[in-house]
Amino acid sequence: MANLNDFKNRLKIAKNKLKKNSKITNNNVNSSFMGSAFKLGTDLVAAVVVGTIIGFILDSWFDTKPWLIIIFFFLGSVAGILNVIRTAKRMQVKD
Amino acid sequence: MATNPMHQFEVYRIGPEIKIAGADLSFTNASLFMLLSAVGICIVLYFGTKEKKLIPDKLQLISELFYNFIAKMIRDTAGSKAKPYFPFIFSLFMFVLFCNMLGMLPYSFTVTSHIIVTLIMAMFIFIAVTIIGFLKHGFGYLKLFVPSGVPVILLPLITVIEIISYLSRPVSLSVRLFANMMAGHTMLKVFGGFVISLGVLGGWLPLSFSVALTGLEILVAFLQAYVFAILTCIYLNDALNLHH
Repeated sequence: MANLNDFKNRLKIAKNKLKKNSKITNNNVNSSFMGSAFKLGTDLVAAVVVGTIIGFILDSWFDTKPWLIIIFFFLGSVAGILNVIRTAKRMQVKD
Repeated sequence: MATNPMHQFEVYRIGPEIKIAGADLSFTNASLFMLLSAVGICIVLYFGTKEKKLIPDKLQLISELFYNFIAKMIRDTAGSKAKPYFPFIFSLFMFVLFCNMLGMLPYSFTVTSHIIVTLIMAMFIFIAVTIIGFLKHGFGYLKLFVPSGVPVILLPLITVIEIISYLSRPVSLSVRLFANMMAGHTMLKVFGGFVISLGVLGGWLPLSFSVALTGLEILVAFLQAYVFAILTCIYLNDALNLHH
């Protein structure tokens, strides 16, 4: 049991040290921010691409070239901006 | 051939050609590296959890770290309702992580740099999350596309935008992982090619770049696995706890 008590003491000292270096706990937040930054760029582009593809398919279904592809391109852009705003909001909540 | 930066992404057959019902099911280098990462995960986790010591050794520490990391992530982003999905998200994270990290070894093949692999995973998540949402909420899940507090005139427009935004999820999920891995590995190869073509006199600058890029790529490899897993959690959260 002496070994266990010794370990508990060392754990306490190590935990106190960890509290002093608050930088270590910040590390986690940092990496999630970088993840969100990666998310922002592709979210914007992906919605535009998906919108355009939907417009293209609907155009060939209804024979309305080129109107639906134009409309859905802009709707896709709006959806992309919406995605980015949502991610940005989520990042602010985490603060 | 060796100086072509895209040569590393080539898929080739290992062993005999296997054709079942017209589909090519031969064992390729991609299958080999998927198998290697799956076996690697099993080895690390098996030996990491074999002896449960009070003071863990390195392997046990790593596996406990992974477990706590994913468990905390699910708790923070999707709440306690998402606990049953822990095995899926944990396997997903470990698989992407090991594929990315194995790809960092010289002469290896990066499975996640092929969009078909990432798209299959993203589509699986997308379809699974949609099914879970409908199972939990019935047709109430469609409320996800109709945000509350919107004027009736704008409702059709908003609904279409929400549907596009929902459908863009698997695309953005798969393209992000694929593009990051492929761009990073191509860049590494291009700078490696510069080292050879500039020779002993001028090759030092691209070599130092190459070293720095390798560090960055290891960070990206981890970060992309993390992003893939956390986005799965966020989508699962939307399906489990329906509110806008």
